[in-house]
Amino acid sequence: MRKIVSIILLSVIAIGIVLTLMKIPFAVPKTKVGAYYVDKGVGQTGAVNIVTSVVLNYRGFDTLGEVTVLFIAALGLGAVLATVKKKTKREIMPSSLVLSTGCKFLFPFILLFGTYIFIHGHLTPGGGFQGGAIIASGFLLIYLSCPKKRINEARFKVTESIAGLTFVITGILGLAFGGYFLFNFLPKGVANTLFSAGIIPIIYIAIGFKVGAELAGIIDGLMRISE
Amino acid sequence: MVNPVLLIAVPLAFAFSIPLLGFISKRIGKYIPPIAMLFNLVASLILMPEVIRRPVVVSLGGFPAPFCITLFAGPVGILFSCLIALVGFLVSIYALDYIKEGAREKYHMLYLLLLTGATGVVLTGDIFNLFVFFEILCISSYVLVAYLGNKAGVESASKYLIQGSIGSAFILIAIAFVYGQFGTLNMADIARSIHSVSPIQLFVPLVLFITGFGVEAALFPLNAWLPDAHSSAPSTISAVLSGIAIEVGIYAIARVVFTVFGASSILLFLVLLGLLTLLVGELSAFSQSNIKRLLAYSSIGQIGLILFALGIGTNYGIAGGLFQFITHALSKVLLFLATGYMIYRVGSMEISSLEGMGKKMPLSSLAFTIGAFSLIGLPPFVGFGSKFLIIRSALERQSLLYTVFIGIVLLGTIIEGAYFFRVVQVLYFKSEKINRKRPARRSFGVGGEEAPATALIPIFILMILIIVIGIYPKLVTGILNPAAGELLNRIGYIQEVLR
Amino acid sequence: MSFLNNYIYYIGAVGLILIGLYILLAKHNLIKMIIGLAIMDTGVNLLLITIGYIKKGTAPIFSKTGLNPRNMVDPVPQALVLTAIVIGVAVLALALSLAIRLYQHYGTLDMRKIKEQRW
Repeated sequence: MRKIVSIILLSVIAIGIVLTLMKIPFAVPKTKVGAYYVDKGVGQTGAVNIVTSVVLNYRGFDTLGEVTVLFIAALGLGAVLATVKKKTKREIMPSSLVLSTGCKFLFPFILLFGTYIFIHGHLTPGGGFQGGAIIASGFLLIYLSCPKKRINEARFKVTESIAGLTFVITGILGLAFGGYFLFNFLPKGVANTLFSAGIIPIIYIAIGFKVGAELAGIIDGLMRISE
Repeated sequence: MVNPVLLIAVPLAFAFSIPLLGFISKRIGKYIPPIAMLFNLVASLILMPEVIRRPVVVSLGGFPAPFCITLFAGPVGILFSCLIALVGFLVSIYALDYIKEGAREKYHMLYLLLLTGATGVVLTGDIFNLFVFFEILCISSYVLVAYLGNKAGVESASKYLIQGSIGSAFILIAIAFVYGQFGTLNMADIARSIHSVSPIQLFVPLVLFITGFGVEAALFPLNAWLPDAHSSAPSTISAVLSGIAIEVGIYAIARVVFTVFGASSILLFLVLLGLLTLLVGELSAFSQSNIKRLLAYSSIGQIGLILFALGIGTNYGIAGGLFQFITHALSKVLLFLATGYMIYRVGSMEISSLEGMGKKMPLSSLAFTIGAFSLIGLPPFVGFGSKFLIIRSALERQSLLYTVFIGIVLLGTIIEGAYFFRVVQVLYFKSEKINRKRPARRSFGVGGEEAPATALIPIFILMILIIVIGIYPKLVTGILNPAAGELLNRIGYIQEVLR
Repeated sequence: MSFLNNYIYYIGAVGLILIGLYILLAKHNLIKMIIGLAIMDTGVNLLLITIGYIKKGTAPIFSKTGLNPRNMVDPVPQALVLTAIVIGVAVLALALSLAIRLYQHYGTLDMRKIKEQRW
């Protein structure tokens, strides 16, 4: 009964969506804001990666909201799992020699790679969120190889808070110096070099640290309840 | 002149800095939300005379209008921001002593972020930004419903999360369609080019928007999560969810329908939906025996009434709907705060166990009575002014159909009166039996003293506001009329943003 | 054939959305519902990206001077999808933590049996 009702509902929704999609032609340029960003992006913001300039400069407020959402997820996980009553201890098998050696060997390279991605966010594809996710996967490997190791939770919290405050304070400084929140007030430099694009690398570094710390903190929180 | 960005950026900065301040002292965390909300309240009141003359449009990043995100602080936005800051401030003072267990530092951070998300929704002028701040509001409320960690809370939170996420996915599909058809995400820009496409193409995005925002706003078939969520959350969170979160959902629907799409043909459907929600809410509340579920169903009824008022579409109708927003926020918050300590003292949420509270907790019972009478719409309280304005605006349409609608609204009011009078009667007039059966589920009742001072101050302030605004409604009509004008005047909105 | 060539991405995105919605409506296990939510989010993100595609376009990065801006795809949907993916991940993390708590309280994840809140 429930399945029949859901199939009828789904067909209604499908017909509605398909009818609207027929009117949106595929692979045809249809936007005016997109063309403006691609044409003027390098000149106005100094970043050669146009997606980065859209994410951090033209629509920087959305990124602030997104960073807040991830912050809420990390907090929420901590709050929901805070009152868990630990039952019988689970037997955790120690990992084999190949696994533990491999993970310990790979960990610094993964951290380096993630850092490279978020520092060069304005020059190559990538950015803070992608780099932060890679850093968190490095931490996951450490948990796989040494299951009894725990990282000090206070350090994650401090990193997150300082990175978040950096983002908001950069925005407020833009308000103070340029009259608009998130105004690009540092010099734009020569395009296609590392020290270009004003405040964009600074914000991406902050976001990279924040996302890495948050995702690693989520994994740490989930590991803690089963010890 | 205060830049409206500070209304969002300053509470966000405070919320990010609570863990750092927690290293200085463990107990400083609970004083930060009142400070942040006091800043918001003062800033909104300073901005109010200015936006009545001319709305403040702020571009974020310094680029010209449709190529950046704009914040539009008009009369509607500042009215809501004032209301959110006021309710947030009072409830955070109540929570100074009420929240004793669980991860307390995280509660205060999440509470502040919920209010920041709500303020962001009402001040923004860009559709995708609306979605992002709406998600901030929804996700913090999912977590706060499950804050106590008991069986009821976690179950309600998981059902709320699943339904809310389906709504958010619908909103995102609608944003994809709007971007594909118009090529821009700025609300004024979309409104300007809305007539270049045929109305059939706009139908599906509009329906998806109303469904997506309607899950959070608790419209009729989509409100299955609300009674569970509002009754199993801690009382401060029930107050904020009922008083702010569902109202912000209706604001989002109003903004999309009136300003972006300008769809006056769908208003009759909204009127019918509002009446249906009103009837379902009031009839379900009538048969409840759990006080918080009763208040939750009453919220559904009030949201139906607000949607009915907004759907009338005339200047007085929308002003009546906005006035009802103020009434519902003040009265429902007062009701939840008053019953918070009553439930804590007695140890159960059944109405029958609250008998005799009129003698043991006189101030809380008086507060409950005033809140209840205000929601029903009795004269010296603020609810009378708002309901009168709604009924008068419906009468102005002078059609038989609307007279029938007024009859249904009055029927809803009578049912509301019936169940609220029943509770007031239990509070004051049943004497305490010696061998009453105490439901043995949770026995944490700690005796029958009155609530502490931090709880009585916000209750007292809310009571005073309800009575004062009820006697002098001219205090708020100065902002209600420009606000109604802003929602109806699309051309003015477009001109302000895209000068 | 050219019809399919043009619309295959749309069909894929809408198909994912419908599959995810069916799982959410018709299945009872909470973990399956969470997987359905993830599939639906993936479908919506794919729909957003597909709307921004321009024929024979490449990534909007001016890595060498002299690249023609006409050949680049639209950067705005990519920024929107970045945000939407992160929001989806946050909701999934919360849903899984709630599932852990629910399993501890009730011992089962069948939503038909978790109906303690009655009328």
